[in-house]
Amino acid sequence: MNVLIVEDESRIAKRIERMTREILGESLLSISHINTLQEALEFVENNPLDLVLLDLNLNGEDGFDLLTTAVSGSFHTIIISAYKDQAITAFEYGVLDFVPKPFNIDRLEEAFKRVITKEKAEINRVKFLAVKKRNRIQLISIEQVLYVKGAGPYTELFLADGTKSLHDKSLEKLEQLLSPTFYRVHKSYLVKMSEIKEIIVESGSKYMAELKNGAFIPIGRTKYKDLKEKWI
Amino acid sequence: MNKRSLLCFLCLWLLLVSCKEQPVYKKHRSVYKIGDDAAWATKGLDDQTWKKKLAWVPDGQIYWTRTKIDILSAPEPLSLYGLQLEVYGEYELYWDGVLIGKNGNPGQEAELGPEGKLWVTFSIPAELTEKGEHILAIRSSLYFFANHIGIYDLKIDHYDDLLTDRLIESSYIHIFAGAFLIASMYFLFLFLSNKKDYTVLVFSISCFLFFTLTMIQFIGITVPIHYRQHHQRLSVISALTFGISFLVPLYFSMQFPFPKRKLILAVCGSILLVMFMLKNHSFNLTTYGMASSMWLFTTSIVVFGVYKRLNGARLVLLILLLCVLIRFIAPYNLSLFVGFSLILLSMLYLLSLRIKDQRLAYENSLVQSTRLRLELLKKNIQPHFLMNTLTSLMDWVEEAPKQGALFIEALAKEFDLFNQIENETLIPITQEIALCRTHLEIMAYRREVNYLWEEEGIDEEQKIPPAILHTLLENGITHSLPREDNSIMFKLVFESNEHYKCYTFLTFANSVKNGGTNRKEGTGLKYIKARLTESYQSNWDFISEPAQHGWKNILIIYH
Repeated sequence: MNVLIVEDESRIAKRIERMTREILGESLLSISHINTLQEALEFVENNPLDLVLLDLNLNGEDGFDLLTTAVSGSFHTIIISAYKDQAITAFEYGVLDFVPKPFNIDRLEEAFKRVITKEKAEINRVKFLAVKKRNRIQLISIEQVLYVKGAGPYTELFLADGTKSLHDKSLEKLEQLLSPTFYRVHKSYLVKMSEIKEIIVESGSKYMAELKNGAFIPIGRTKYKDLKEKWI
Repeated sequence: MNKRSLLCFLCLWLLLVSCKEQPVYKKHRSVYKIGDDAAWATKGLDDQTWKKKLAWVPDGQIYWTRTKIDILSAPEPLSLYGLQLEVYGEYELYWDGVLIGKNGNPGQEAELGPEGKLWVTFSIPAELTEKGEHILAIRSSLYFFANHIGIYDLKIDHYDDLLTDRLIESSYIHIFAGAFLIASMYFLFLFLSNKKDYTVLVFSISCFLFFTLTMIQFIGITVPIHYRQHHQRLSVISALTFGISFLVPLYFSMQFPFPKRKLILAVCGSILLVMFMLKNHSFNLTTYGMASSMWLFTTSIVVFGVYKRLNGARLVLLILLLCVLIRFIAPYNLSLFVGFSLILLSMLYLLSLRIKDQRLAYENSLVQSTRLRLELLKKNIQPHFLMNTLTSLMDWVEEAPKQGALFIEALAKEFDLFNQIENETLIPITQEIALCRTHLEIMAYRREVNYLWEEEGIDEEQKIPPAILHTLLENGITHSLPREDNSIMFKLVFESNEHYKCYTFLTFANSVKNGGTNRKEGTGLKYIKARLTESYQSNWDFISEPAQHGWKNILIIYH
């Protein structure tokens, strides 16, 4: 796993680094530490990452610029901050966890567990998805998203206005963030439960979900039973 | 009272004073003749040859005045008509040839000295007031003002009414004047308690002058005066009017300041002075001229106030326009008094607005002080400082407990210093420096940077608002990166001369690249500025700017 720590308090950064090494052990491929916003934005742009541990208040700057950039990336973001009141907003933007300072290794391990075990969220707190469009970050309200289709390492967001948008996160990572509002009906599809109008059984045990906008989404054989339970 | 009800009240009052009962008599033109003959009092005398006008009667000679009067309705049985007169001179009064009253000693003024009064009320015997034509003959002499010939005021009504009306009038006038006397005293005391506030003094004097003016104007009600003294009364009235006419524009110029104020006021004062000094046959004309120029200057000032959208100017302008209206619908004397009192009321209104503003400003400053205290208290418990410190502390305790203990000591010291300064608005500079040094100690544990502190020319006697340098230090730490040797240096330089004291606070560090965005004014700088204002009002300057070596803050406090 490639980890980046963005933190301007060097003692705390060292603490996070030490604990990360302890928790991840051999699965840690690389770990870097950056203490300014500008460098962090550049680093995120140019390096493959799996996880960013981010402090929102760097050198008196507002870290939300970095937050929106971070959450639009392909990696998961965990916030480590002194300001507990920022937690709700951070979750709305789609961070995986929010670790308030001061923290111990148990709390950090709990956060890492979400990454490692790909644990799904119990309630969906995400309100926006940040996508990169023409070098700018655009926030898409989760209300707008009908379903998500996997496209290699990326995903396509299908929106209520008929357009679609590319997201850098994999379907797996989005599923982790967007559960249980969205359900993985197929290995390539993540659908908003409230959008499903009908479940159609076709000949040859083919299952399809008809959405309210008229689109048909294939349902995986193994998913059918579970979906039916949840949908009813 | 709001604006509308004030206006209604005024209209009602005007309506009441303008309603008069039908008079019971009709006065014809007077005719005059120098000389003395007892027969000139008789009713049937042919006075065709008498003069319609008499310019003056020299040496206090006797002259007669005959005036035809029609009684339109006889008095009720058992009641009397009375006659109220304002006539210069000493005289005997004949009604249809019968002597009904005497005021002084006509023809003998020089020998016997002044006697009698200017305003007198006589009763007319009931049998002489039947409906029809009557003759009022006055045998008089004018030793002192030989040209003041004629009947200046005459009124016939029920004798009782004439007397009681004067009593009622007198009680109203006293209440009216008393209100202004009290106002003048109240605002005088207010001024004495705050001698900087000259508007209050000007208002107090204006009220007092107006009180005196009212009392002198209606002096006849309380003090009987001889006609010889009347000139003095009018001189005093004119002087009082001069005073008020200057003070009112002066007051408004203080409330609605305008460019070239002194020059315009000097012009106003000169015009008034010329009017006042210029000998003129009529005091009324002088008074009216002064009141009019006062109105003109005041209105111009208030119009400027309205143009500048100053608080209260519009209502005052409305009142000034109302004064013009009153001038046209009410008798001269009344309009002058109503006008003056309305203007004084509008001055009071402005004063009350200002007092309200002052109160709000004071309350605001109290709130501001409390807010600053809270801000100071918050410094140590705001999450960024506290949580980051605690996280670092946890780490030190876990990894190097001995160092951790020292860290805790430094933290305890900073908390202790904050407790000491918490309620102060100024603290010794040495205490402030101690605070900064402790803070650096804490930050060294947190950031593992070698923080250096230097001082130059510090005067240990000096005082400074609490946590100002501390705030600059915090900003310096937050916004800087260590130099190549992992150090950041702060330097405090103090200079002073007879004009000002100056603190220069320098940060020697690498600056944080922030992508071109300027550093915004954060709560820290706002705190510093509010603290400086609290202790030094506007006598300070603060500059905070990037420098080649890092950052530079200059704080100047003027003596």
